[in-house]
Amino acid sequence: MQLTKKPLRIREMVVIVFMVIGLKGGDTTPALFADHAQNAIWLVPVVSFLCLLPPFLILMYLLKKHEKYNLVELIFHLLGKKLGTVLSLLLFIGGFVSMSVDMRNVMEELNYLYFPESPTIMIYAIFLGICIIIANKGLETIGSLTWALIPIIILTILAVMTVDLRDAVWQRIFPILGDGPKTILVDGISKSSAFLEIFLLTIAYQAFHQTKDFRIGIYTGGILSCILIVTFYAIYAMVFDYNTINNIAFLYQESTEIVSLGHFFTNISTFFMIGWLFSTFLRFIIFLYILCWIFGAIFEIKRFEGLILPVGIVSMILSLIPPSFSINELVIRETSLQIITPLFLIFPFLLWGTDRWKNRGKT
Amino acid sequence: MFPWQKQKTEAIEKRKARKISKNLKDNVKYIEEQYSYGLNYDFESRTIQGPSGRYHLFFYSTTVDTKQLSDHIVAPLLEMKKDIPVDRIVSVPNISPITNMGDVEKGLNDGSVIIFKQGIAEGFEVNLQDFKHRAVEKAENEKTVKGPKESFTESLPTNISMLRKKIPSKDLIAENISVGTRPAVPVTLIYERDLANEKVLENIKNRISSITVDNIRNIEILEQFIEERPRSLFPTLLYTERPDNVSNFVSEGYIAIMMDNSSSCLIAPITIWSFFHSPEDRYLRWAFANFSRLIRALAYFITLFVSATYVAVTNYHSQLIPIDLLLAIASSRERVPLPIIFEVLLMEIAFELIREAGVRIPSPLGPTIGIVGALILGQAAVEANIVSPIVVIIVALSGLSSFAAANYSINHTLRISRFIFIVAASFYGLLSLLGAILLWAAYVVSISSFGVSYFSPATPSTKSSHDTFFRMILKKERWRPGFINPKDWDKK
Amino acid sequence: MRRLILILLFLQIALILTGCFDRKELEEQAYVISIGVDKTERDNIFRFTFEIANPEVGSSVSNVSTKEPAQEVVSVLGTDFLSATSTANTSVAKEITLDQVRVVIFSEKLARSKEFIHVIQSAPSTVDLKLNAQMVISKEKAEDFIRHNKPRLESRPHKYFQYMLDRARETGVIPDAPLVRFFQITEGDADLFIAPFASTAREPTDKYGAEDNYKAGEIDINGGNPTQFIGSAVFKEGQMIDTLTGEETRYTLMLDTTLPQQDILATYKDPLRPDFEISAKVQIDKAKVSIDYKKRGRSVIDVHVNAHLNVFAIPSTEDYMLDPRKRRILYASIEKQMYNKTTEMVKKSQEKYKAEPFYWSLHIRKEFLTIKDYEKADWSNKIFPNADVHLHIDVKSIEFGKTLRQSNIGKVRD
Repeated sequence: MQLTKKPLRIREMVVIVFMVIGLKGGDTTPALFADHAQNAIWLVPVVSFLCLLPPFLILMYLLKKHEKYNLVELIFHLLGKKLGTVLSLLLFIGGFVSMSVDMRNVMEELNYLYFPESPTIMIYAIFLGICIIIANKGLETIGSLTWALIPIIILTILAVMTVDLRDAVWQRIFPILGDGPKTILVDGISKSSAFLEIFLLTIAYQAFHQTKDFRIGIYTGGILSCILIVTFYAIYAMVFDYNTINNIAFLYQESTEIVSLGHFFTNISTFFMIGWLFSTFLRFIIFLYILCWIFGAIFEIKRFEGLILPVGIVSMILSLIPPSFSINELVIRETSLQIITPLFLIFPFLLWGTDRWKNRGKT
Repeated sequence: MFPWQKQKTEAIEKRKARKISKNLKDNVKYIEEQYSYGLNYDFESRTIQGPSGRYHLFFYSTTVDTKQLSDHIVAPLLEMKKDIPVDRIVSVPNISPITNMGDVEKGLNDGSVIIFKQGIAEGFEVNLQDFKHRAVEKAENEKTVKGPKESFTESLPTNISMLRKKIPSKDLIAENISVGTRPAVPVTLIYERDLANEKVLENIKNRISSITVDNIRNIEILEQFIEERPRSLFPTLLYTERPDNVSNFVSEGYIAIMMDNSSSCLIAPITIWSFFHSPEDRYLRWAFANFSRLIRALAYFITLFVSATYVAVTNYHSQLIPIDLLLAIASSRERVPLPIIFEVLLMEIAFELIREAGVRIPSPLGPTIGIVGALILGQAAVEANIVSPIVVIIVALSGLSSFAAANYSINHTLRISRFIFIVAASFYGLLSLLGAILLWAAYVVSISSFGVSYFSPATPSTKSSHDTFFRMILKKERWRPGFINPKDWDKK
Repeated sequence: MRRLILILLFLQIALILTGCFDRKELEEQAYVISIGVDKTERDNIFRFTFEIANPEVGSSVSNVSTKEPAQEVVSVLGTDFLSATSTANTSVAKEITLDQVRVVIFSEKLARSKEFIHVIQSAPSTVDLKLNAQMVISKEKAEDFIRHNKPRLESRPHKYFQYMLDRARETGVIPDAPLVRFFQITEGDADLFIAPFASTAREPTDKYGAEDNYKAGEIDINGGNPTQFIGSAVFKEGQMIDTLTGEETRYTLMLDTTLPQQDILATYKDPLRPDFEISAKVQIDKAKVSIDYKKRGRSVIDVHVNAHLNVFAIPSTEDYMLDPRKRRILYASIEKQMYNKTTEMVKKSQEKYKAEPFYWSLHIRKEFLTIKDYEKADWSNKIFPNADVHLHIDVKSIEFGKTLRQSNIGKVRD
């Protein structure tokens, strides 16, 4: 018995979005951007967000117009069964590849910094096992869990910011355009699918108390995430100089590592790992769940929770193929993002076009 | 239903449906046989030959008020000359006619006196019960400094009377449902008719009536029968002995479950926050109450995580420890033969032993525990280099903090969870510890008590007084807890 | 029963599995608190000296009084930090960890060689070694420095470094130089990096009156620990080129906007009676640097420094407190003294080093949009050496401490 149906509301949506998108400020994504843009690293996500905004708004417009559908149902409704399956499957694959690559990066980060003597697969297995168990409990648990843990994560974020700002020199943000406007634009647009989760999250359009909750939640969460990512990237640029920033793989951890709080707390970076690890867990739990949901929706599998285990394990096996972290981050992630990006930028327009066309046929 | 059960039930039904006969002798013979008169020394069967007729009385001499019996029943019966119905002769408030043997049985078990009269196919049940119970005493397990001191006692009427005193309203309902068969005992649901949610009420009633067990004697047993997840670490019913606490809950729209013979009652549905709150939090002023909650929250976190964090950090993340502390720990561990995890587990288990022994020990031997515990486990263990002093401090801290829990049920949850975390921490440091915390937290947010999410109103959120970690100023509390969906949300 | 067996089995597995991989007991590790690196005869082979703290010394467990020394010093050959650590473990039973390293000491000889950049490059990729450790340059061999350094008052060696670096930084005679700053400045390739300079060898030069115009080892101290932290080593493009005295370091720090300004203690000439000195606590506000960049021709650098003085000793007993005329003279004189010293330092960097240790390249960056433009403009080679530097030193206030007026010595003598 459940006293209230669909109990999740705005706040859960905000934190889910924040967790999935916003915390890319703390993983290896900044290293990917810093590789070319150097100290203009914080401008790249701005470009990405601006570039993602029109397709995203169109998608949200379509969802609002066709009130009853979620992402996959909308695609099926507009494009028909066959074409819809192909497109949804492509979206799923995009998300899946991006999740696998991200997960490998995070695992390497964890392994290299905190458990240097353990085999990656061991840490991977523990991590994934926990993710799978929690993802199995369903969206309501995930949403509530995220909200319940958000105080720790926010505290960590604020602490990291204050600590980093002690060592930041704001003049290092200059020259403001870094490697030049062209690099920023090209990088920002081609890697904008680093934030593709925001499209995939629309699968949960119907899962909240009201669809209005979802809309407000995703906008608020998106804006907060933007602010967080840009602030964090700017802080990285200010802490490390333009020549150092593109040598460092784990900016979040390194930036906390070089600071010491007085004589007593000299190595505080592990302390910030707590919030980081929580958020990483949550992020992949949500991501895994969303992906399985999409997959389930495509093939009309009602109890898609059963897919979480196989999808997780396949993703782990695939992601362990690249021989090393740097290849994974700088070659595989970069190319895969460049391939995936056009798909995500175009498909809302495609949906919109068919919608218009269909409507014209009617009137 | 199995055939033997069917037989049994049929026999019981038959017995219950037997009508009272006009012939007094038949009735007397039947009941004396049923109640093993003569063997049962306190079962009385007395014939009274009054001027107006021949009466027969049945009662347990141990459960009725004998003074009232002789003054208000025996004397009038002996004196009355006119042949008028018994209920007009007897001068007691509580008298009701009964027609079958089932009612007789029930009346006798409840401590009533049964009166038969020759020639009438009807009996009378006179309620003169006088079960012995404790007087109303001070609350022992949920102490407060500020606020009412009385606590429930083992008598249901006394308990309900205390509640009626606190909520003098016609909407306060005390509804009975019987549970069990040998014998069937009533369970009393107490709620405000215009507040309690129908669905929740229905759910509780269903759960109680679907219990198939011979008997349930008190609320502590009942609790385990109506829980959703009996194996879970988390209680889903609040167990409290304070009438003021119960009346606070009931007037918010919660439902209290009471039984005779229990000096406590259960509140449902419940969220995790209620285990964390003490009734005193409402009696103290805003700042004081929130300060005490802050301390309690700290205590909960210390209990749960301090030992586990120590294990994780010293075994896997020693770079986190400031160098002075690190050297101090390392030097104190230099001569300790055990790895940290065993050291911590050893002390934690020792502490649990002291606690368990402290609860069970007869009170004249009580002081021994203090001496043995403190001396052997503290001083001597350190001096013998079995454990390092810092572990003693940590274990003592976590043990002490677990006593700050506002509720006894959650105390066990904290203690057991602590061991889970310690083992998890030793497995893979912060990775596995945080993983375990996450699993634990996911479990907490996923369970529900009678359809109410365990973590509401924090998440999922509803309109409520937002009484979670901290409470608001009472004047500003506008809504009743929306997560239990009361009929009237607005407090004002 | 079956459940009991399962539980026991689970416990057993848990017990077997724990203790593998990254698990280390605290007492099985040896905590290095400082590392010394020296040059050897062979190229790219260095001598690493590890100073390991003995946890048993100075801890409060009092029942066994230990006669072990407070630290153990091990020195091995190696090519980088990590390989040296494993070599050192052949003689140290406990596992050596670099997590707690607070100070990394390089000998002057190594710092001046071309190999220095190779050895220090291995630092960021060593996970254990935290980049917030301080970098110190020792005049003699780093190994000798560590071995000679015998703190008397601190029972734990790491405390000594902590306190020592703090005190020296407070007087402004050494800079704050975590390893990460070395990389930031060296990789930025526009400025000079300065690191604290220290020595245990005493070669006192008895030139008192030169204020803090000493380098490490030159101060005449009797007794105590032979170690001295004063002055700084100047690095250009990852190689040491010169040393600065304590006083020069102080003026350098004054002009740097990125380092936190601490109150420093300094002495100035008494303007009315030049054979006396005035000692004061100087609080310097963050310098304001503005650069007027001219693509062709000389750029103009304006530097504004505001100082607040708290004078606490006027041995000459001149009445600077109440006499407005004298006070004006004092203001002007101190400003002039500071101006002269600072100008000297700027001139030295423009002419001798052809680069500046003030991290001023940060302030010109605003003028450029992209890194390419900025690097093309070449701050260190083209702009700075040819720029006009205008210093504006302003003594904003002088406080005279807790006395209201100087006691009149003339009268006392009567």
